Amino acid sequence: MAATEHPVAVEKPRSNPALTRDPVSTGALVLSAALALPGLLPAASAEPAPAGGMIGLRNLSYRESQPGLERVGSNSPSLVFLVPLAGEWALSGDLVTDNVSGASPRYHTAISGASQMKDRRNAADLQLKRYLEDGSVSVGLARSNENDYASTALSLQGTVDSKDRNTTLLWGLGGASDTINPVNLAVRNEQRHSIDAMLGVAQVLTPADLVQFSLGYNRGRGYFSDPYKIFDNRPRRLNQTALSAKWNHHFDAADGTSRFSYRYATNSDGVRSHTLGEEYVQAFGEGWSVTPALRYYSQSAARFYVDPIYDPLFGAPFPAGVAIFQHPLLTMDQRLSAFGALTLEAKLARQLSAQWSADLKLARYEQRSAWRWFGRGSPGLAPLTAHWLEIGLYRRW
Amino acid sequence: MRPLALSIVIAACLAGCASIEPVAPWQKGQLAKPEMGFADDVAGAAYAEHVYSSREAVSGGTRVGGGGCGCN
Repeated sequence: MAATEHPVAVEKPRSNPALTRDPVSTGALVLSAALALPGLLPAASAEPAPAGGMIGLRNLSYRESQPGLERVGSNSPSLVFLVPLAGEWALSGDLVTDNVSGASPRYHTAISGASQMKDRRNAADLQLKRYLEDGSVSVGLARSNENDYASTALSLQGTVDSKDRNTTLLWGLGGASDTINPVNLAVRNEQRHSIDAMLGVAQVLTPADLVQFSLGYNRGRGYFSDPYKIFDNRPRRLNQTALSAKWNHHFDAADGTSRFSYRYATNSDGVRSHTLGEEYVQAFGEGWSVTPALRYYSQSAARFYVDPIYDPLFGAPFPAGVAIFQHPLLTMDQRLSAFGALTLEAKLARQLSAQWSADLKLARYEQRSAWRWFGRGSPGLAPLTAHWLEIGLYRRW
Repeated sequence: MRPLALSIVIAACLAGCASIEPVAPWQKGQLAKPEMGFADDVAGAAYAEHVYSSREAVSGGTRVGGGGCGCN
């Protein structure tokens, strides 16, 4: 799913005696406003309309593998922008092309018979935002198109600030309609429709602490099976509930910021998941900053996921057989198994001048059944490893 | 998680917010730093969300209206 998220909110301190000791960088404010793309939920403070615009170029290079098999890889250039309009409006967007190729197992992590694929995905995510005296309202449109899959999504989101600008209520409503036409003709013109609702609150706790809680609900109906996996047959309804918490803390002495997050999510396939994230932003002189990050994710298996049982004579990858008629709902997709996953990340950013900035991010992701939070996960699957590199260059005015 | 449990958690969060001592405008210098916002790198977050949603069974939860993909 492409992201459709809200801009950052930043309130410049007023009549602030502390400013003489801890000035707020004008460049930092411009940076924050300029990076306010369709996106993440805002902080708890009045969000000013952006004074300037921004345009940026980014690229993501992604590669994944398992022992004995190079799996999917992609190269994804994107254009991001924000344009202030008429003082109280802003148009922002993210245009991306994914060039994807590689191999994907047809069941579990079986190497033999893995499907080969090559595809291009073009996606646009636009948001028009109106800044109000005590909040904001925005409408969003997202469109994604690839050879075998098309998606259109609409959203309406808003914020309401308290009088003292220490609390912000967040709300959002959205809907998406997808059409699936796999190249193997397993199905034709299948549809998937979903609606989203989100409610949250962001709160200033102290001069150095900011927290946010949100509750999201997604209700989907239609085709959720994977047409490229054998015997894959999933329920035609998928509902998801997610509860998220975020906590940002600034360390004044070190001029560093800790950003902690936790999410609990569950869906009607019977999957329950926990996600823990921590990153630390350390600023250095001359516009440099370094951000190491750690993410841990754990999920239980879908109730209709079937573990691999290989033929006792031939061994892997030959399955001993699956009684598909005894299981009207069935999947052997690794993504619906029970596993844990760890991501290690490091980001280097530099403010090159008042107008230009750049960043570079390296990440390593590994997924193993034995790393599930509780229990030993789904046995018999090979670990999945992924690496990605992101580069971004931005110009502001 | 059942709706009742979720409601209790949210009510507790709101009640907690109500009892917090307000922070004055002139105390918000640190809060105004970009990295203290929840979206100082939205494009990067979108990339990460796309990667995770294509390899894990559950994704999102803090946004609405995202476009889908047929990632396999």
